Amino acid sequence: MPYIYGCATIRVVMPDLQTAQQMGWNFSIFLRVFLLCLLIFRRNVQFFPFFTTYLIVNLAKALALNLAYQAWGKDALSTYQLAWSMEAVVTVTRALAVAELCRTLLGAYRGIWSLAWRVLLSCAGLIVLYSVISSKHTWEGFILGSGRALELAIASVIVIVFLFLRHYEVVSELSVRYLALGFCIYACIAVINFSVLERYVNAYAEIWNALGVVAYLACLMAWTWALRKFIPRPAFHPLLFSRAVYQQLSPEINARLRSLNDQLSHFWGVGEPRS
Amino acid sequence: MTLTLGIFIAIIACLLALLVWALSSPRKRRPLNAGLAADLEQIGRRHATYLPLIRRALSPVDFVFLEARGPQKLAARVRKERRRVALSYLEGLHSDFLQLVRVAKVVAALSPEVAAAQELERVWLSVQFSWRYRMLRAEVYAGTVSLRSLDALSHMVSELAVRVENAMSELGERAAIAAQIASLLDRGGVDVA
Repeated sequence: MPYIYGCATIRVVMPDLQTAQQMGWNFSIFLRVFLLCLLIFRRNVQFFPFFTTYLIVNLAKALALNLAYQAWGKDALSTYQLAWSMEAVVTVTRALAVAELCRTLLGAYRGIWSLAWRVLLSCAGLIVLYSVISSKHTWEGFILGSGRALELAIASVIVIVFLFLRHYEVVSELSVRYLALGFCIYACIAVINFSVLERYVNAYAEIWNALGVVAYLACLMAWTWALRKFIPRPAFHPLLFSRAVYQQLSPEINARLRSLNDQLSHFWGVGEPRS
Repeated sequence: MTLTLGIFIAIIACLLALLVWALSSPRKRRPLNAGLAADLEQIGRRHATYLPLIRRALSPVDFVFLEARGPQKLAARVRKERRRVALSYLEGLHSDFLQLVRVAKVVAALSPEVAAAQELERVWLSVQFSWRYRMLRAEVYAGTVSLRSLDALSHMVSELAVRVENAMSELGERAAIAAQIASLLDRGGVDVA
């Protein structure tokens, strides 16, 4: 499974990588280390434990693969298994980091967060389920399908969170938004990457992998910028109303909106209002 | 390009378009003025003050009289002015409606639990209202909207505001809630920072 192998290992070593791509990847390792240092020294680790874990696991993957190449060689089955196992772990930690960011953005508002996490989880679950079912019934197809599904789920979840933020006019910390944006852009490019790799493996693999490296570099830079300083915690937690306020006001407002819409519909359709 | 690849590119394009829209600032977010913010029950009832004047301005009796007795040029000018007044009035109603929806959103954001059905319904109703409001505007432009339509629409929005205010009064927390909502609306959003 040479091309599948490449999907997981390309970010570290690839036999025919162009120098620029290799340099880009090396630079991305440097940036990841730098980012980790920023997280520690700016005291943001405590607020982003899963994001920190993701970075550590990502770096560990690079290290483990380098060791595996030296020990077993690039084409060995053991290297292949290790590469994809590590990729799975990285993806899971990335998903956890995204969940953590979503909670940071919306978690202060218990009501809308309780609605949001159900919507997000349902969307992510449905996307993953659909992609796994519809992927080719081969081991390679399953791996590519699952990878793409997870990336698509991550991108969708972040977009939905931003829609929630806009809808409820929640003002959030700009740095956290940048972190989420980085994940979203990277996931979008990864989805295209997976789709292209699935179809045009040999012809375009290098171009798309290079694009993946560039996209990842861009995300790392956005994250570095976002975490360049200590991210302050909310100075206060919003004072929530009692349950009765929502239970009484919301149906009332909706009923009147419904009624207003009925009236508008009638004006528009007939030209004469209902009495 | 295969169908699968095309579909995924389309999905990503849609997601990116939604992302850009979600990150952009709303175009017509009007802050409440200080006096109004202090008194929440006024939201949605501003236009009611002008209702008798609007009704008179749009009275068909005057217009019929002018068409019969006055010069055509004057009648055309009056028709144009009537349309302008009707459009301004509609815009005012729309603005009041949006303000009420914002109040509903802030109430939801500051509630310990929300009902998905209620929230979804409000989104759907807002979309419907927005669409129908545009249609009604088009009718005003075309000169086919009736005075009764505007009248009834005005009552609907006023009544909505009054009912919301009454509901809040019954809760006995009106003053605190009104102050909190008005403050949040004036700041342009619910702040976590």
